[in-house]
Amino acid sequence: MSKKRILLVEDEENERLLYKEELEKEGFEVACCQNGNDAIESIEKSNYDLVILDIQMPQMDGIETLGKILTKKRDIPIIIYTAYPQYKDQFLTWAADAYLIKSSDLTALKDKVKTILSEKDG
Amino acid sequence: MGNRNITTFILAGGKGERLYPLTRDRTKPAVPFGGIYRIIDFPLSNAINSGLRKIYIFTQYKSLSLHRHIREGWNIFSRELGEFIDLVPAQQRIGEEWYQGTADSVFQNINILEDEKPELILILSGDQVYKMDYRRIIEAHIEKKADLTISVFEVPLKEAHRFGVLRIEDDRVVEFKEKPSEPMPDPSNPEVALISMGIYVFSLDVLIKRVIEDAKKIDSSHDFGKDIIPSMIGRDNVYAFRFIDENKKETKYWRDIGTIDAYWEANMDLVNVDPLLNLYDRDWPIRTFQEQYPPAKTVFSGEDRRASVTDSMVSSGCIISGSKVLHSVLSTNVKVHSYAEVVDSIIFENVDIGRYAKIRRTIIDKNVSIPQGAVIGYNLAEDRKRFYVSEGGIVVIPRKYKW
Repeated sequence: MSKKRILLVEDEENERLLYKEELEKEGFEVACCQNGNDAIESIEKSNYDLVILDIQMPQMDGIETLGKILTKKRDIPIIIYTAYPQYKDQFLTWAADAYLIKSSDLTALKDKVKTILSEKDG
Repeated sequence: MGNRNITTFILAGGKGERLYPLTRDRTKPAVPFGGIYRIIDFPLSNAINSGLRKIYIFTQYKSLSLHRHIREGWNIFSRELGEFIDLVPAQQRIGEEWYQGTADSVFQNINILEDEKPELILILSGDQVYKMDYRRIIEAHIEKKADLTISVFEVPLKEAHRFGVLRIEDDRVVEFKEKPSEPMPDPSNPEVALISMGIYVFSLDVLIKRVIEDAKKIDSSHDFGKDIIPSMIGRDNVYAFRFIDENKKETKYWRDIGTIDAYWEANMDLVNVDPLLNLYDRDWPIRTFQEQYPPAKTVFSGEDRRASVTDSMVSSGCIISGSKVLHSVLSTNVKVHSYAEVVDSIIFENVDIGRYAKIRRTIIDKNVSIPQGAVIGYNLAEDRKRFYVSEGGIVVIPRKYKW
């Protein structure tokens, strides 16, 4: 079976590299973007099974990015991965399949990725 | 009821294709009606009369005429007091496309709900003619603790296939089918079916959830009637509210004026001795914008050249000069010159009808000059060569038509 492809959208370099490495260890193929514009472009060009989206990013924030992703690929699963809980008040974040708070322990993120991808297969 | 907790959305993006050519240059809610009104004046007046003061109008296709009407005629609120009528064109804030459907127009403006955080959202269609006190449906919604309340209208069973049809138990909606081939009859009267009027009261959280859920579906047409409401039946608390008519006539009045023939008939109703639609009730006034003109005038009372106006509505600025107007609706600033005849017709503003012209069963859109001696509506085969002629034989002369 081919590897599941994840798009990781995160402006902070250290975090980006860490998450990529950890998810690759779990057997996923991980592409990275540093901002929302690149992410939208990338989603238009290639097929991903899941998107992990930071919220606080320069230029276009993760919520606006999420809205734009939805109108391009309506059914793509999205995990919001942010350090801040307060964005839950913004209704567009309800469109994400999960809203996770960043943690140094990536277990929750990995578990969520696996659950969503297996549900998608099922 | 607390007005500040209710936000009203008027969906005014309708193309009104079956009203072509009246909708060639304007969206359906901007189509003139009854001499001085536009169709959108009805839901807007209803909202004002119901004490609603936070109103967004979602527009898209050919909205210039609608925007102008709202700016000129409905700039009546005080924003300082938190009251407004705001026009919201498709801004492509989220997507890069027009509103895909009625539900998509709400999805694309979800930021409005985020900013306002109303408890309830009243969703109306901008292209229907009726008089309704929305407070009644809002009260019913609150009392039932509903997630969604749909205003319903009874139509004869055989006409129901054109609409969204509901089946209810008590007031709870147990089935909803958009344009079904075999409509379900109303249990209390098998001769009729209950149809959705496209008037909804939503509780905020449920609206957001369902609209977002729908936005993520690829195979959805993103429409309240086709997608959102059917998906809510059996999951959410969906109730029907039987339309209470402020028109106060024996038969309830609600028109989704879909075709040229229906449009013509709805206007012709107004010139009857006792019209079905009552525009004279000061308890439920319908307001509009109209330019200031002097009162309508008739001139010449000789035996040979004599102005005669009967069974008609004539708006201000009109001059009926030695000519005959019978059973017709004239908008503002229409001139009918000597020996001309206008019968069973609807004339929009700034139309000039030349001497000896004979007009019958015709709708003349604005800014048209009918040349001297022209005959329209008497030979449909001939008229068809130049103009749109409806199934029912109504001729439509489009806006700015040049001879």
